[in-house]
Amino acid sequence: MSRFIHRRTVLRGAGVAIALPWLEAMTPRLARGNAPKAGPLRLAFLYVPNGMHMPHWTPSKEGQDFDLKPTLEPVAKHKDRLTLLSGLTLDGARAHNDGGGDHARSAAAFLTGAHPKKTDGADIHNGISIDQAIAQAVGHETRFPSLELGLEGSSQAGSCDSGYSCAYSSNLAWRNATSPLAKEMDPSAVFDRLFGSGDDKEDKKTSEVRKSRRKSVLDFALGEAKTLHQELGNADRRKLDEYLYAVREIENRLVKSEKLQIGENGVPNYPRPAGVPRELDEHAKLMLDMLTLALQTDSTRIATFMFANEGNNRGYPEIGAPEGHHDLSHHGGSEEKQAKVAKINRYYTERLAYFLDSMASIHEGERTLLDNSLIVYGSGISDGDRHNHDELPILLAGRGGGRFKSGRHVRFPAETPMCNLYVWMLRQFGVKADSFGDSKGVLDV
Amino acid sequence: MVKSGLRQFLLTCLVVQAGSSVFSADPQSLQKQLDSRIKPLLKEHCTGCHGGAEPDAGVSLEHFDTPKSFLKGNKLWMKAIQKIELGEMPPKDSPEMPEADRKALTQWIRSTIEDFQCGLTPNPGQVTLRRLNASEYRNTVRDLVGVDYKPAENFPADDVGYGFDNIGDVLTLPPLLMEKYLLAAEDISRKAILTPPADKKFEASYAGSQLQVEGGQSQGQSSLTLASSANATFKEQVPWAGAYQLTVRASGDQAGKEPCKMQILVDNKPFREVAVPNERDKPKDFTFPLRLKPGSRQIAIRFTNDYYVEKKGDQPQQDRNLIIHSVSLEGTRENKQSIDPAKWTASHRSIFSVMPKEEKDPAKCTKVVVERLASRAFRRPVEPDELKRLVDLALQVQDDGASMEESIQVVLQSLLISPKFLFRVEPPQGDLANGQPAENFRNLDDFELATRLSYFLWSSMPDDRLLAAAWTKKLRSSDRLEEEVKRMMADPKANEFVDNFAGQWLTLRKLENFNPDPKLFPKWNDEIKRLVYLETMNFFRAAVREDWSVLQLLDADFTYLNEKLANFYGIPNVRGNKFVKVSLAGTQRGGLLTHASVLAVTSNPTRTSPVKRGKWILDNLLATPPPPAPPGVPELKEKEQLSGTLRQKMEQHRADPACASCHKLMDPLGFALENFDAVGLWRTADGGQKIDASGELPDGSRVDGSGQLRQALLSKNKDQFVRCLTEKMLTYALGRGLEYYDKCAVDKIVEQMRKNDYKFSTLLLEVVKSDPFQKKGEREIE
Repeated sequence: MSRFIHRRTVLRGAGVAIALPWLEAMTPRLARGNAPKAGPLRLAFLYVPNGMHMPHWTPSKEGQDFDLKPTLEPVAKHKDRLTLLSGLTLDGARAHNDGGGDHARSAAAFLTGAHPKKTDGADIHNGISIDQAIAQAVGHETRFPSLELGLEGSSQAGSCDSGYSCAYSSNLAWRNATSPLAKEMDPSAVFDRLFGSGDDKEDKKTSEVRKSRRKSVLDFALGEAKTLHQELGNADRRKLDEYLYAVREIENRLVKSEKLQIGENGVPNYPRPAGVPRELDEHAKLMLDMLTLALQTDSTRIATFMFANEGNNRGYPEIGAPEGHHDLSHHGGSEEKQAKVAKINRYYTERLAYFLDSMASIHEGERTLLDNSLIVYGSGISDGDRHNHDELPILLAGRGGGRFKSGRHVRFPAETPMCNLYVWMLRQFGVKADSFGDSKGVLDV
Repeated sequence: MVKSGLRQFLLTCLVVQAGSSVFSADPQSLQKQLDSRIKPLLKEHCTGCHGGAEPDAGVSLEHFDTPKSFLKGNKLWMKAIQKIELGEMPPKDSPEMPEADRKALTQWIRSTIEDFQCGLTPNPGQVTLRRLNASEYRNTVRDLVGVDYKPAENFPADDVGYGFDNIGDVLTLPPLLMEKYLLAAEDISRKAILTPPADKKFEASYAGSQLQVEGGQSQGQSSLTLASSANATFKEQVPWAGAYQLTVRASGDQAGKEPCKMQILVDNKPFREVAVPNERDKPKDFTFPLRLKPGSRQIAIRFTNDYYVEKKGDQPQQDRNLIIHSVSLEGTRENKQSIDPAKWTASHRSIFSVMPKEEKDPAKCTKVVVERLASRAFRRPVEPDELKRLVDLALQVQDDGASMEESIQVVLQSLLISPKFLFRVEPPQGDLANGQPAENFRNLDDFELATRLSYFLWSSMPDDRLLAAAWTKKLRSSDRLEEEVKRMMADPKANEFVDNFAGQWLTLRKLENFNPDPKLFPKWNDEIKRLVYLETMNFFRAAVREDWSVLQLLDADFTYLNEKLANFYGIPNVRGNKFVKVSLAGTQRGGLLTHASVLAVTSNPTRTSPVKRGKWILDNLLATPPPPAPPGVPELKEKEQLSGTLRQKMEQHRADPACASCHKLMDPLGFALENFDAVGLWRTADGGQKIDASGELPDGSRVDGSGQLRQALLSKNKDQFVRCLTEKMLTYALGRGLEYYDKCAVDKIVEQMRKNDYKFSTLLLEVVKSDPFQKKGEREIE
């Protein structure tokens, strides 16, 4: 049984269907200021739920000579590209008199540093997330300002965590305080979005007609939204603003895909996935491939990826941890349960290893794609039993294009805000920033 | 909550006096009581812990300074007084609260919260602009243009608030989704509207020299000179029957009395002969319209009047020749301006059948088609300026050379991504732009009401009948509403209500992610998962269709099974794939609580979870969600590891007072269901230990097993259950969370149900008739 439908046999029109790694495809057109040979900086956040078994995570030693505990063994071969950041804190995820709901708050605060408002829906309020803050600065340089990916859709019923709307526990990326960005979980849909579905073979003229009609249709929609805007109350206007933003972004993208001359014809040499595979392994693999492809083809430079929604209670019978992950994470000190949590943690670092391997196998001039990236891997909870949000498990992979010295374990003073790291990141992307979220400075990475 | 005699009295007497207050009691005396008696009590017994920067359990009871603030915080205070009345609070290690104080405090709070004046029109609330969720989108597209757009299932998941995925505040529209809407619009418009095929062209051309000749000779680069009577021929595969044009570029060496003549033969049959009088160096095109049949055709050009006289004295040589420079054969199969109505699809027909037959003016036809389509897409008559913009768009597309059908495709695309289609718009009255406040409590207009009704019961747009009722302003009458609700619930589209409401109310959609350990539960698989879901859906559908008392949901002694599912349960004598009604007499089961779907969705992958089951009952049947777990869990870590059976471990857990307050409510309810394992199968032992299924209700009464639990819920918590179901349904119907001001509407619905044997139809109808459903008020949230 083949998991893939065959790679398209007919290339669209006269278009060329080839892999377009960053260098060949982009350099001539993106006459960018910074050294073109280096390749642009990429940023991705990969999130795992329910905290980490910390004794199997945090190295005993600091500095370059750090040791890899069992959870991190799967990524050992990239050791010189790993930077472990210990001591970071997500204060926004703490209760602050709001009672339970650490899971929802962890995911919501992870990239925002905000303290999400406890509500089942009426007045969702969080903060802008760091990926979006950076996307707003550099997103216009690529076809997609950012990509939001994950392996699990939003919860489909009931409440997600102690009076918090499910929007909090299933979204990392927030365009602003009220607009979370839903993630895509179907690899075939991501592929089609990035490279076109290939089922509509059309000639140049048809494609031009389609484009110009698309523009008319979008213009019309904008006009409608503007007239409607004047008739509505505030809460409704907020919804309509989301609409307006979304339409404009698509208009921009249409223009951009003309300008950059890639996209619908720039199809990589990769079989189009056939949908969501049943097995988590395979699903993760395909989605991580999509992430790699997106970064490789410079379709986007900013991405978020949720391995699961926060508080997920999936069982992992295939690795000897059939109990629910969330349930296990409340181990109550049980050795057995902690061992199983560690197994699940390791399972996910194995997926991370797969991703890092792919990223490292792609060359961009003298470097690799991984070298040109900042990959943050971690969770907004430290110990799942205590629900504490200090001492977070945070791993930075990649060399950020040589912008810092990787291959170290750095311990920061207790209570150092996670957002200090984000201020540092903003600067790496050329944004002059002194603060982000609840930062109290800039992390000395 | 039965109204006390006094309260009735107050309600009837004080309406006039109360003026603008939301209270029936005199607000000033309430305030006085609060300041003189209540606040000192709170200060003495409560806010020491539940106040300040880090209040205990995250519950702050400070800053409640007016009676109205208690009203707004009613959910918190209901929990608080429950705890005070149960003696849980103040905790045992703090100074005791005298019984008189306890009573004074709880009575004042309770009467203040409950003394919400229903006599005057309370705020019916406001629903935030609601985007169609994925299933509503798919249904609406199907009902609008007859296209079932399956990819809508893969739109980014709609977030859930208040337990449902149709909550306006929570439904966002990220760019990713907008992109999907745009692609969907293109796809749907292509499927819905047939366009005439583009003109087909056939073209074959030859240089003269390329022709087959008998007796000719080519000259120069490309032309062919026929110097004697001879045929120049070519063969072509003609693709279709019809009109073609043969063009021969020819000239002649003229000699003799007559000009050169050439004859055209098709398949050796002479077709026409023409004169070619022009000189060799002035070639001309000679065209011949032909009708050809498809297949291999041979065209021949014959030089018919060769003439040659040798040079004779001073008479020069006379030589007549025909020169063929090039030949082409062209055919066009025209796209007819309209498609044969006999070939129209149902979708196409529904859009174009309104076009007046006699009308030839494309602008007028366009307008008629667009007006109906847009009015249906917007679920109300399209405004003249909207119509003008749409028609202009269509005409512009037609001006660019597109057919009428193509232009309507573009219009449909525009409609499908218009905010007026994607959102359910209920604009406030008044002129916001000029800073005029909206008129707060207005009746929805008939079209808005039709839309609410159809999305509530069908998760789709109103049908023609509803729109017609709205058009004639007849929908609002109570009789008509009742008739429509009945009609709609009898329609197969009402299955959407069953799926969307019941699937979410009972949290069964979460089953999708429930994958128990196959080693422990070998009988469970994906198919069983689907079947247990269908069991509950069939059960609920019957409740609606057969208009049961809603109480029967809890204690029906029958269910709906097919053979496979019956085998799973171990129930004999059910045959076939179809779900049939099966008696549960003599089994341990009855009612929703013993459905495997419910029992599984509240379990962990390797074991049951009495906590989750108890919480599920509190959340979804009794609407008294337990307070969230306290944030101070770290203390647990210091404790010794829990040991023993599940029940013993949980009892140890509850020994911790921080945990006890909630778990005392949840766990004992769940224990009563312990005879059902994590996939809902009956068991009498777990891990070698006999199951102890004794449990306890929130009021302390003891039950043993699911049967007693069911009976106890029905006898002691009937009102709570009915109110809970009502609140859930109203939330779903409105697409917003309920607020304190919705209490009166809920009271009224519950009251009507009590009078009508708790009939399902009463619940639906009273929800539809309720003020929050019928009116638009102001947004005021806690």
